[in-house]
Amino acid sequence: MQSAGLKNGLRRVALWAGLILILLLIVFSIYGAFIGAESAKRFFNSIPMSVYWVAFSVLLISAIVLFKRLLCFRGLFLIHLGCIIIFAGGIIGSQAGFRLQDKLFKTDTIRTGQMIINEGTTERAVELGDGVIKMLSFAIKLVDFKIEYYQPGQLTIRTQNGEGFKIAAEPGQKYVLGDDLGSVEIVRRFEYFKLTREEDKRIAFEDPNGGPNPALEVLLKKSDGSETIRYVFERFPGHARPDDNLQFSYNRLVKDFLSDVEVVKGNKVVTRKNIEVNKPLHYGGYLFYQQGYDSDTSRYTVLGVTSDKGLGIVFLGYILLCAGVFWHFWLRHIFGDREIED
Amino acid sequence: MAIKFTIQGLLIYAAMAEYLLAFVVMLSRQRKAGHNFFLTGFLLGCIALAYRWVEVRHIPLQNLFEVFLCLGVVVYPISVFCNRVLRVGGVTADMLIGVIVLFPAGFVFSAEPQQLPPALQTWLFGPHVFVYMLSYVLMTKAAVQAVIQWTGREMTGELLSPEDATYRMICAGFPLLTLGLVLGSIWGQNAWGDWWGWDPKELWSLASWLVYVGYFHFRYMFGKRFPRINSLWAVIGLVAIIITLLWVNLSRLFPGLHNYAM
Repeated sequence: MQSAGLKNGLRRVALWAGLILILLLIVFSIYGAFIGAESAKRFFNSIPMSVYWVAFSVLLISAIVLFKRLLCFRGLFLIHLGCIIIFAGGIIGSQAGFRLQDKLFKTDTIRTGQMIINEGTTERAVELGDGVIKMLSFAIKLVDFKIEYYQPGQLTIRTQNGEGFKIAAEPGQKYVLGDDLGSVEIVRRFEYFKLTREEDKRIAFEDPNGGPNPALEVLLKKSDGSETIRYVFERFPGHARPDDNLQFSYNRLVKDFLSDVEVVKGNKVVTRKNIEVNKPLHYGGYLFYQQGYDSDTSRYTVLGVTSDKGLGIVFLGYILLCAGVFWHFWLRHIFGDREIED
Repeated sequence: MAIKFTIQGLLIYAAMAEYLLAFVVMLSRQRKAGHNFFLTGFLLGCIALAYRWVEVRHIPLQNLFEVFLCLGVVVYPISVFCNRVLRVGGVTADMLIGVIVLFPAGFVFSAEPQQLPPALQTWLFGPHVFVYMLSYVLMTKAAVQAVIQWTGREMTGELLSPEDATYRMICAGFPLLTLGLVLGSIWGQNAWGDWWGWDPKELWSLASWLVYVGYFHFRYMFGKRFPRINSLWAVIGLVAIIITLLWVNLSRLFPGLHNYAM
């Protein structure tokens, strides 16, 4: 009798503690949203919050022990177990978790950092957030880096009184701007624009050796019949001559950026992959994902490096959590297995 | 706010007009005619969505214009399913919800087609946003039932009482809300190398999810002893969802990874 009373009391405490911890996490999440991602990351990894996470995990475990209902309802059990496993994975992959593992197991794993690799070169150094550089046990070679753009891009024309026109940046495209302003026609599109002078004439041509310099050749026809040629450069948006009453910009949206890399271990290429946004390379306990690139000359790539420690555990937790919620709220009603009625 | 004098815009306005007509007709107790107008509005919404899909050449869930257009379309099937299968009322209110969610698509947000940036080019994009849209409509229905519960009105016929209907709607929407959160996290891992980035939108999504977790715990602890407080949880959940969907993207208070979704 006494032990049943004690158990009931403990259950009540656990329920109230659970509700309070949930309410606290709602408040912390809203606070975190207001202070920005970087500050929120520091806040949720702080020592007081570490205590909170541990307390939440302990409470979830005790809930499974205290409430028979959680064992009777498969879905509810999976939901709570899933949450415990997600917390465990999160703790293992957190900054504090890494520090503890390094101390306990004398390891020196890189948690997160970035690599800057020039085309054709091999790199092992990973720059950590605080300026420290650590070496990987293998190397990454950047074979090729490519940027793909949506075609055909866009030519934007802005008049002095703020009017704007947008034209597909394709040779042959014509657009009438009005009686006063005349019309524009896109004559040529360049990827590696270069200009040379022959006698008195300026001649534009493609020169791949000079590096990328995307540009458009635009023919302006005024209403009085006069014609002038303008060159519009992607890298100098809004550039205009002092006597121009029109301002031009040439924009192309990046469709994809790809780093063709090889993993080199002991002078042997062990794997090769095109790293793209959403398609990271997974090798040697690390994930290498496309973080940035050299926007001027496209000659180097910036790869984000993160350890995969705890990741599998988090994803296992996700599977259990999803299986639990769908079973408990949807499927058990469909398949008629109502376990114990609510 | 601007009127869209395009085929796309006209389709949206026609769908809104049908939904509004359905609402008015339902108020005058002509159920059959009301349902027909509701169905016509849905079909027009489907055409508007399909038109948009063809125009932008990717699943139209990239920006707030497309998201609200999608919300305006999914209202009808969810309403019919909830009424016929889950025995949850509020069909008349659903018609008004249809008008309300189509309004920003018709008058507020720009319909200029946009190409997908690299981060959105993944198979997770469609499912992640779509399951959220479904759950948002279900949670909106839950909040409507919660408000009806506050007014003290009871349902007639085979329909559930507002308190039970609120619970059932949250039970229907919560798995989708969970799946949306999980898919977003897996996407974040692939795109940015972190399954949880503490981004404002992520944190507001978590807060919304936790409100419903709180609701379940509170209802388990007290059952129907405090129905008004149960309903309060559902309404707070909807407020958190609105902030997640709109305020985080539109306000400069929350700069983050989801700012492209304008």
